[in-house]
Amino acid sequence: MYKLGRGNRDKVQQFMTITGASEKVALQALKASDWHLEGAFDFFYSQPQVSVVNTRHLEDIFNRYKEPDADMIMVEGISQFCNDLQVDPQDIVMLVISWHMKAATMCEFTRQEFIGGLQSIGVDSIEKFRGKLPSLRAELKDDNKFRDIYNFAFTWAREKGQKSLSLETAIGMWQLLFAERNWPLLDHWCQFLQVRHNKAISRDTWSQLLEFVKTTDPQLSNYDDEGAWPYLIDEFVEYLTENGLVQRKR
Amino acid sequence: MMNGGGGQKRRNSKIIPYEYRVESDPKFFDKSWRKLHDAIREIYNHNSMSLSFEELYRTAYNLVLNKFAPELYEKFTENMKAHLEEMRTCIEAAQGGLFLEEMQRKWNDYNKALKMIRDILMYMDRTYIPTNKKAPVFDHGIELWRDTIVRSPTIQGRLSDMLVELIHIERTGDVINRGLMRTTTKMLMDLGLSVYQDDFERPFLEVSASFYSGESQQLIECCACGEYLKQAERRLSEESERVSQYLDVKTNEKITAVVVKEMLANHMQRLILMENSGLVNMLVEDRYEDLTRMYALFNHVPDGLTAIRSVMTSHIKDTGKSLVTDPERLKDPVDFVQRLLNMKDKYDNIINVSFSNDKSFLNALNFSFEHVINLNNRSPEFISLFVDDKLRKVVKEANEEDLETVLDKVMTLFRYLQEKDLFEKYYKQHLAKRLLCGKAAPEDSERSMLVKLKTECGYQFTSKLEGMITDLNTSQDTTQGFYASTSSRLLADAPTISVQILTTGSWPTQTCNTCNLPPEIVSVSEKFRAYYLGTHNGRRLTWQTNMGNADIKATFGNGNKHELNVSTYQMCVLMLFNSSNVLTYREIEQSTAIPTADLKRCLLSLALVKGRQVLRKEPMSKDIADDDSFCVNDKFTSKLFKVKINPVVTQKETDPEKLETRQRVEEDRKPQIEAAIVRIMKSRRVLDHNSIMTEVTKQLQPRFMPNPVVIKKRIESLIEREFLERDKVDRKMYRYLA
Repeated sequence: MYKLGRGNRDKVQQFMTITGASEKVALQALKASDWHLEGAFDFFYSQPQVSVVNTRHLEDIFNRYKEPDADMIMVEGISQFCNDLQVDPQDIVMLVISWHMKAATMCEFTRQEFIGGLQSIGVDSIEKFRGKLPSLRAELKDDNKFRDIYNFAFTWAREKGQKSLSLETAIGMWQLLFAERNWPLLDHWCQFLQVRHNKAISRDTWSQLLEFVKTTDPQLSNYDDEGAWPYLIDEFVEYLTENGLVQRKR
Repeated sequence: MMNGGGGQKRRNSKIIPYEYRVESDPKFFDKSWRKLHDAIREIYNHNSMSLSFEELYRTAYNLVLNKFAPELYEKFTENMKAHLEEMRTCIEAAQGGLFLEEMQRKWNDYNKALKMIRDILMYMDRTYIPTNKKAPVFDHGIELWRDTIVRSPTIQGRLSDMLVELIHIERTGDVINRGLMRTTTKMLMDLGLSVYQDDFERPFLEVSASFYSGESQQLIECCACGEYLKQAERRLSEESERVSQYLDVKTNEKITAVVVKEMLANHMQRLILMENSGLVNMLVEDRYEDLTRMYALFNHVPDGLTAIRSVMTSHIKDTGKSLVTDPERLKDPVDFVQRLLNMKDKYDNIINVSFSNDKSFLNALNFSFEHVINLNNRSPEFISLFVDDKLRKVVKEANEEDLETVLDKVMTLFRYLQEKDLFEKYYKQHLAKRLLCGKAAPEDSERSMLVKLKTECGYQFTSKLEGMITDLNTSQDTTQGFYASTSSRLLADAPTISVQILTTGSWPTQTCNTCNLPPEIVSVSEKFRAYYLGTHNGRRLTWQTNMGNADIKATFGNGNKHELNVSTYQMCVLMLFNSSNVLTYREIEQSTAIPTADLKRCLLSLALVKGRQVLRKEPMSKDIADDDSFCVNDKFTSKLFKVKINPVVTQKETDPEKLETRQRVEEDRKPQIEAAIVRIMKSRRVLDHNSIMTEVTKQLQPRFMPNPVVIKKRIESLIEREFLERDKVDRKMYRYLA
C-alpha cells in the first residue's frame, strides 16, 4: 500500500462522499482517470454494476413494503420506504430512484420494477440503499442523465390513460427539477402558464422546454422566432417581452 | 469612219514629256508655279472657262516628277490661305441677315474652286501626298476653310449665335429661311462631325435647355397639367421636325433629351400631382387623350412610367379602400361588387386605350385590386351574393351571353380573393337557397359558373356544389317516380308535394329542426317516405322543415280568394286557422313546434307587413309577445290573385352569423392544413421546420393563406398523436412515422 499524497487523499474522500462508493472503488476510479475527479465520476458511472446481490434479500425488501392485497408497492408502502431511507417523499432523489426502477406510474412500483431497480442500483438492503443516496442524487449533475430523468418524469407523472401532463403536476415537476439547475425564468414560466395557458402540457412542449432552457440565454438575445419551438414557448417569449419582464436584445 | 476619227484624236492628244532637266533651267519651278497661280486666280474670279485643264494638269504633273511636290504643296497652301483671308473679310463685312447668306455664297464658290484645283493637282494627290502622309488637296482645303473662316475669332461665335438666334425666332413663331439653315448646317457637317458638334450642336443644346427651362417655368404656373403636356408634346414634335428639316439626324435624340429633361423630368412630380388637373384627375375623369399623352411623354423620362404607375396604384388603393370600407356601401352587396367591377373596367380601359396595355401597369392594377378586395373580409360573401343576384335574374333578363360576360368579370375579382374557401362556403349557402326556393338559373348557367370555379380552383373545390345540382335533378326524377308508382286513388285528396332530397355533406350544415306539419301534409309525406325507403335500401330520410315553400288557396271572410305563396313554416301556421278562429302566440308555438326565432319572424311577415297582412294581431304592436292573439284578416285585399309572402329574412349575414361562418371556416382549415402537412411529410419522410411552413403555405395558397401559427399548432398536434417526431439530433427536423 503506497502512501497517498495529501491532494490525492482529499480526492478519494471527496469521491467517496459524493458517490457513496467504497475506498477501494474510489481508488480504482481515480487511478483509471489519472486522478482527475470528473473523469473518475465518468468512469464510475459508466461501469456496469457487477455487484453480487442476494435475490432473496430483494424479495424480502419488496414484501416489506407491498400492499397486503396487491403485488405492488403503493402510497403507504412508498411512505414507509421513504421513512426507512430517511428521505422526504417529495425529495427529487425519489424521482431518480423511480427512473432507475423504470416505474411506469408515480406512487406505484410493481414487483418487477422494484426488484429490477434494486438490482440496477446495486443494493440488497435498506442500509446499503441509504448509503447510495448521495451518488443517486449526484446523477442529476450529469447533463445526459438529467435529460433522461427529465423526460422520464413526463411519462411517470402523467395520469394513466392521458397523453398530456396536467398543468398543476407539470408545474410541480418543473419546480422540483429546475431547483437543480437554477433557471432564472422558472417563476415567470409557471406564472405565464397559469395566466395564459391553463391547459395540459404536451410531451413535445415538455421536452422542448428543456432544450429552450439549455440553449436560450435568459435575456432571450439568441431566441430564434423561426426555430421550430412549440407555440407555447413562442407565446412565453412574447409574454416576457410585452410585460417588460425581459428587455430583449438582438 | 468613226473609228478612224477616234484613233486620230488619241494620237493628237498624247502628252509628250519635256526633255530637259531641272538643273538646266533655274527658273523652272517659278515659271511653272506662276502659270498655276495665275490659273487659280482666274478660277477664283469665275473665269475658268478660258483655262486649259490639260496644260495646267501637265504643269503640276511635271513639277511633281521633278521633285518639286513639297514646294508645290506649300505654295498651294499659302495661296489658299490668302484667298480665304479675302473671303473672311467679305463675310465679316456682311451685316445682319446677310451674314449667313454671304458665308453660304462664299462656301459654294470655294467648293467649286477647290474641286477644280484638286483636279489640277490630281497627280500630286495620288503620289506625293499619300507617301508623305499629308492631307489630300480637297481635305486640306476644307480644313483651311474651317480654321480660317468658321473658327476665326471674329466669325465662330457670331455664326453659332446667328444659327441659335434663328432657331429661337422660329421657336417663337416666326418664319425663317430654312434652306439657308440647312445649307449652313450641312457646311458644318461637311467640315467634320466634330465641327458641327462643337461649333453648333453644343451651344444649340445649351441655349435650348435654357429656353425650355424658362418656358416650362412659365407654362407650369399658368397651365393645367393636360394643357402643359400638350405644349410639351408640341415642342417635342417641333424639334423633331426641325431636325428633319435642317439638322443632323443624330441631333434628334439629343434635343429630345433636352426637352424631356427641362419640360418633363424636372417637373414630373409636380405635373403628376398637380391639383385639379394632375394624373389623379385624369384618372377620375377618364381623360384618355391626356393619359395617352402623359404615358407617351413620360416614357422618355427615367422612372417616368414608374411614377405614373405608383400614383395610379395609390389612387386605386385609396378609392378602392373608400369603396370597400364605406358603411353605406356595405348595405348593398350587389352594388358593392358592381362598383368594384365598374372600377376594374375603368382601369382596364385606361390601360388598354392610354397605356398601350403595358404589362407593368396591368400587374400594378392586379396588385392594387388584390389589396383592395382583401381589405374587407366580407368580400367573399359579397361576391357570392352578387353572383347569386345575377343567376336569380337570368330568367327575367333572358340574356345569357351577357351573363357569361358578367360572370367572367366576377371571376377576375374572385381570383383576387385570398380566402377563396370562405367564398366557397357562402356560395354553397346561396346556391342552396336558389335551388331550394326555385330561384336557380337554368342548369346550364349554374353549371357554367361551377365550371369557371373548377377551372380556377380544381375539382375538389366544386365537387360538392355540383353534387347539389345533381341532387335536385335526382329529386325531380324521384318525385315523378313516386307519383307514377302510387295509386292515384290514394293521393286523390292529398296536397301535391315536390320533394328535394339533399345528400348529407354536400349541402351547408343545417340544424335539423322538425316542426309539426299539418295532418294533410304528414299523410302524403309519410307515403313518400315509404316509397323512397322502399326503393333505396339503407337510406335515412329526415325532413328539413326550415326550408321549403308552399302554395295555399285561401278564401277570406270578405269572399276574396287568393293563392298564397309562403314558406313551410308559414304554411304550418296558416293551416291552424282552418279549425280555429283565434290563437295565441303560445298556442301556435305549441301546435307547430316551430323554433321561437323562426316563429316570430314568420308571424311578423304574416301580420305586420303592409300588403301582406293575412293575419291580424292583438294588440297591434310591432313586437310579438307570448300572450298576443292572432286571427285571420277577413278584410284582406290584394290586387294580385297570387300573393307572395316572403319571410322577414335578411339576405346578408348578421354579425353573429358572420362570426359563426368565419369560425367554421377557420375550423375547416385545420384538417386541410394537417392533411397538407401529412402529404408533404409522407413524400419527404424527413423535412425541416421552415421548409414545412413554406411548402404548406404554397400548397394551400390557392384556397386560403394559412396562418403560420395554425400550421405550427397542427405540427405539434401531429407530434402528439405520433404521426411526426422530432429528429433526435436536430430538433428542427421532423420525421414522418409510418
